[in-house]
Amino acid sequence: MSNNELTVIDREGSTHRLEWEPDQTMMEALRDNDLPVLASCGGTASCATCHVFLDKEVFDTLGERSEDELELLVEAEGYQECGSRLSCQLDFSRELNGVTVTLAPED
Amino acid sequence: MREQTAIQDHMAHFASAATAPVVIVGAGHSGVAVAAGLRARGWKGGILLLDAEKETPYERPPLSKELLKAGAPDESAVLRKEKFYQDKRIQRVAGAAVESVDRQGRTVLLSDGSRHAYHRLVLATGSRARPLTVPGARLPGVQALRTRDDALELKRLLVAGTRVAIIGAGYIGLEVAAAAAAKGCNVTVLEFQDRVMSRVTSVPVSRHFEKLHERHGVRFVFGAAVTEIEGGQRAERVVTADGAVFHADVVLAGIGVIPNQELAAEAGLECRDGILVDEDCLTSDAAIYATGDVTRFTSPIDGASQRLECIQNAQAQADRVAAHITGQPAAAPEIPWFWTVQHGVRLQTAGVRRPEDDVIVRGDPAGGSFSVIYARDGRLAAVDTVAGLADFRPARKLIAQGALIDPGLAADPGVPLADTILDDPAPAHADLAPARI
Ligand SMILES: Cc1cc2nc3c(=O)[nH]c(=O)nc-3n(C[C@H](O)[C@H](O)[C@H](O)COP(=O)(O)OP(=O)(O)OC[C@H]3O[C@@H](n4cnc5c(N)ncnc54)[C@H](O)[C@@H]3O)c2cc1C
Ligand code: FES
Repeated sequence: MSNNELTVIDREGSTHRLEWEPDQTMMEALRDNDLPVLASCGGTASCATCHVFLDKEVFDTLGERSEDELELLVEAEGYQECGSRLSCQLDFSRELNGVTVTLAPED
Repeated sequence: MREQTAIQDHMAHFASAATAPVVIVGAGHSGVAVAAGLRARGWKGGILLLDAEKETPYERPPLSKELLKAGAPDESAVLRKEKFYQDKRIQRVAGAAVESVDRQGRTVLLSDGSRHAYHRLVLATGSRARPLTVPGARLPGVQALRTRDDALELKRLLVAGTRVAIIGAGYIGLEVAAAAAAKGCNVTVLEFQDRVMSRVTSVPVSRHFEKLHERHGVRFVFGAAVTEIEGGQRAERVVTADGAVFHADVVLAGIGVIPNQELAAEAGLECRDGILVDEDCLTSDAAIYATGDVTRFTSPIDGASQRLECIQNAQAQADRVAAHITGQPAAAPEIPWFWTVQHGVRLQTAGVRRPEDDVIVRGDPAGGSFSVIYARDGRLAAVDTVAGLADFRPARKLIAQGALIDPGLAADPGVPLADTILDDPAPAHADLAPARI
């Protein structure tokens, strides 16, 4: 499988383009490309340092958020009901090729 | 001295690859985070990451959780894929322990006989399972859990019908108890104290988890002082001080950890149940840092001398090391946090509780999901959340602020935690940031 392209807007508003490899979660793609994603819990939906915003159209194509994910997000800085996701919970998928994600602010 | 090394740091940051690399001893959570953090902060010099273990550096939390589940693959999560180290020019030597440090010559000696020069040395050697020292502790079938190999061996031993005795009802012992029970083992937990997780949590949380485990068939024996493991070829029986005998095919000792500080101590660095470090994670040698489980330091939150055994601290200290080496400002100190999952129920803790703290139960434990608030001099000091994360993030912020809490309001789970805070005539520590989580 070939890589996905990902466009990332960081917390300063700068745009980065990166390759998202099939065996990575979105969090891993962000973190391993030096974006400031701490991922303190190693991707187990415990810390919310990997919080990102997606466009509503993209968000709507994704599955439901787990209870842990939702509870962490609701209390997170800038929570968007139809846009916030923990990027560690997003596996690689073809549908996500070319999407733009925005890093949520740290709190 | 410190100022001078800071200038050297700064120069080395822009210098050519001719200077010696930053050498990191230990490729666990903290060591790998130092390496990644240096590159993320623009460090151009060499990075040499050393570990006694052969494999790709891996995550420890899954070793007592996901990895032990029935049907789980033997491969568990790695910290970074191999390709990451190549892409980031992080050189690794795996499978050889560092045996000594020559501080004058600024080199380390490995067990394979090779010697490596360092520009800065980072000791991220972590901790090891405290060994059981009673007679019979070395019989086959007596296990500890720290490494991936330990976890794979344990996984192999935990089959349905096996009698498992767990010594110590801390996080690790209880996570293994849950995994073993789920696999149909017959599990007995022997604990010296009168409740589970007594070192880290309060009575209401202990009782809740005891009931949870008991519902899943785990048996607890409190006040149990193990005096001997008996058996012929293998462990067969655990004996306690009162003469009770527990039959067991597998014995897991989960009795805490001890810091791997020998390398530092032998090199003459100051240690006291942990390598002593300052707020930049520098040891008593200005060219040597220490980070993670192996360190002891003064809490910027309450001035206590502490050693923390959690991923959050391993990562936060690693970031301070990377910041200091590259001459950049570090992030504000963080509120420590930790999580454990037992029988699918998550306990997540923010802050460090003390036994003398006031305890406020928030919500009804019988309902399955609740929080416990720990207040010190009326201020929020720590929070345990059980099967619900709603209070977790607000708690971290409020603990960092040293917020004054209204105990009556805080006991009502219907009132958001942020709304239980009182006006503060004298704010406690406004300069602290919550963990960046
Ligand atoms: C089973 C288990 C479950 C856990 N679950 C959680 C959890 O859910 N949440 C949480 O926050 N924390 C958890 N922890 C604790 C967490 O894993 C540690 O706090 C963390 O690993 C500390 O990181 P570290 O880098 O300091 O040490 P480590 O990860 O222990 O790494 C130290 C490394 O140094 C190497 N080393 C030591 N001495 C030498 C030497 N002389 N030469 C070369 N290499 C050397 C070791 O081989 C090791 O790889 C768990 C720990 C275990 C064992
Ligand atoms: S990495 Fe911790 S929640 Fe995603």
